Amino acid sequence: MRRMLIVGAGQSGLQLALGLQAQGYEVTLMSNRTADEIRVGRVMSTQCMFHTALQHERDLEINFWEEQAPRIQGLGVSVAGPVTPLGHPRLVDWVGELDGCAQSVDQRLKMAGWMDAFERRGGRLVIHGATVSDLNFLAERYDLLLVAAGKGELGSLFGRDATRSPYTSPQRALAVAYVHGLAPRLEHPDLEAVRCNLVPDVGELYVMPALTASGRADILFWEAIPGGPADVFEGVTDPSEHLALTLELMEWFTPWEYGRATRVELTDAGGTLSGRYTPTVRDPIGRLPGGGLVLGVADVVVTNDPLTGQGSNSAAKCAASYLASIVEHGDRPFDEAWMRRTFARFWATARHVTKWTNAMLAPPPDHIVRLLGAAGQLPAVAHRFANGFDDPADFENFFYEPDKTAAYLEEAEAAGAAEVAEDAEDAEDGGTDAADVGDAIDTASEAAEQVG
Amino acid sequence: MTAAPIRVPKIPGADEALQGWQDDRSRAPIATKIVIAGGFGVGKTTFVSSVSEITPLQTEALMTRASENVDDLAATPQKLTTTVAMDFGRITLDSDLVLYLFGTPGQQRFWFMWDDLMRGAIGAVVMVDTRRLEDSFPALDYFESCGLPYVIAVNHFQGTPVYEPEDVRDALSVPAKVPVVIMDARNRISVVDALLALVRFAVDISPE
Amino acid sequence: MTSASYKAGRVRPYSLTGGRTRSGHVLLVETFVATLETPDGAVEPALSGPASRMVPEIRAIIDLCRRMRSVAEVSALLKIPLGVVRVLLSDLADQGKIRVYGTGRGPGQPDRALLERVLSGLRRL
Repeated sequence: MRRMLIVGAGQSGLQLALGLQAQGYEVTLMSNRTADEIRVGRVMSTQCMFHTALQHERDLEINFWEEQAPRIQGLGVSVAGPVTPLGHPRLVDWVGELDGCAQSVDQRLKMAGWMDAFERRGGRLVIHGATVSDLNFLAERYDLLLVAAGKGELGSLFGRDATRSPYTSPQRALAVAYVHGLAPRLEHPDLEAVRCNLVPDVGELYVMPALTASGRADILFWEAIPGGPADVFEGVTDPSEHLALTLELMEWFTPWEYGRATRVELTDAGGTLSGRYTPTVRDPIGRLPGGGLVLGVADVVVTNDPLTGQGSNSAAKCAASYLASIVEHGDRPFDEAWMRRTFARFWATARHVTKWTNAMLAPPPDHIVRLLGAAGQLPAVAHRFANGFDDPADFENFFYEPDKTAAYLEEAEAAGAAEVAEDAEDAEDGGTDAADVGDAIDTASEAAEQVG
Repeated sequence: MTAAPIRVPKIPGADEALQGWQDDRSRAPIATKIVIAGGFGVGKTTFVSSVSEITPLQTEALMTRASENVDDLAATPQKLTTTVAMDFGRITLDSDLVLYLFGTPGQQRFWFMWDDLMRGAIGAVVMVDTRRLEDSFPALDYFESCGLPYVIAVNHFQGTPVYEPEDVRDALSVPAKVPVVIMDARNRISVVDALLALVRFAVDISPE
Repeated sequence: MTSASYKAGRVRPYSLTGGRTRSGHVLLVETFVATLETPDGAVEPALSGPASRMVPEIRAIIDLCRRMRSVAEVSALLKIPLGVVRVLLSDLADQGKIRVYGTGRGPGQPDRALLERVLSGLRRL
């Protein structure tokens, strides 16, 4: 029986541990916290997982919360316009339908539950913050060491890959609050949707349905441009102050979201989180002082900004990809060449996430502004953009290059016009031209600068 | 077998006075602990030695410089050095009650040890050297944020000015409720007094 | 019922006599462990699990723990990193080679009654 050591009990570490366990591997899992400590601790993420990632959990039959968690069927985008005396307009506002539903289960619930399941199924769980010394000693005693916890000392085993890491400083300051009592969006009261609100020069506000210990909740998630007007959470330790700041920013920059948030309260004292980190891709192989090798997993080696909500999705995809590579390798040694191939297989999908997330961190170029605006008139465009959250590889076809975007929009408009021709009445409602939206966003940026 | 054989000391701790509970494997005493934190050279080992019934023991760890900062961009695998991760002593308080004292370095890169040591601990004694107050800041930040009881023990070194507890409290911006004691880590009575200050404080803030 | 099995049933409720350690059990640095003698008095090194590749370390732990030891003492005296000691001890506990004792109190911080006992113990020093 092959012996595996996994350090880190997050989405990737636990999913991999449970997956290997089901395949008959002898798995030791190291976590620096107990399941109970995780349960009563602070929230860790927004973890909205889309269809492909959720399917990996279903495949392993560890989708324990699927019945209770809100079924997210849409993903909407709003773009804030300049502040006017008459109010705060939305220049863009649409929702795209997701082909498969998405779900967000508070990782405090999920990881604690998975840890218990891992132990119940006979896995060895060791509560310990692993060090280089530990791994150095354990390396030759296990067939494979996987590092799925990037914080602290072990992260330093993996060198930064400068060619794949364009940023050298954090591009957003994140601030998360889990709340009860959020009303539905008036535009689609019966449709559960992730709402992405882009506020030029300020950042983004995500609002998403979730399941937490006390039941259905919603997550209010600000992604503030460092130094901008929403970068106000650093050093805030009081959860109610954190929520008050969240709501204040919503009232000012996204009043349409604030309108449904006037009665919210935090789910619990641990329901807030803030921080910032630099998007970084690392060498996936860590070399221990004694010569042993460790393979980095998911965000240990590919850290993206949470802006596109891909962290838990990438973690699930990485765990599934590594699991397949491990099982297919049979009894052969897990040497450096195998590690390189295993990471390359994951990177084949992960690179799209990194490219897209890094692109979204930059101020949107004109063709993206047009694309987002056009999605308001063309449901097919909204649909395609929304489903890109599940499979970011698709953005390669219509997102990055102005020519491809233009060609796609032309095609989508033609298809849309064909539909419109079938129903002439609808043609009367033709909305804002996408180019006008672009101008308006520029104006919005200027206004935001004045506010800041 | 590639592992180097481990040489077991003949009878570790043979020089120590054997406590009754050590040879009774039918039952274990209640084990409890206090964490001694503070900057390098502040006197943690002296503190533990002054009151421990065994010669203090230590564990070592390989450390990288990069682990000081999780966002370190230059986080290429770096030279590793061996440092003391923790040193500890033991006091048998009763036939069925043992108190361990764990000292651990005060730098932020040892926070993983603090999390581990503070699990189930009575609390912490944060040792301070008035000549290097800033060395104690990481430990103070940590214990203030983790919400467990801690006291400040100002280790008074010979030939340095004597400060009043309130002056130190002000200089460190420590909340009024946190006890500050001026002490001498070489003096057993003084060390016991510091431990008493912590346990009394822990009792005071513990629910009835 | 033999006296041996009767005794086995009388261990303090928080003692763990081999078998699976209870779910969520944590080997704290101050947790006590001791070697469990097999009926014939022999203690064989573990031959399965990750421990089978660490026979010298396993033997050293079993020898050392003929006297009651804390997890931290095992690590410090044998110069084995703390995390490795935790892996090996949890392995040995599963195999019934080592008894892991409860700390004599619940998880979390010590309660008031225990703090009072520590206080009076310190006052007697």
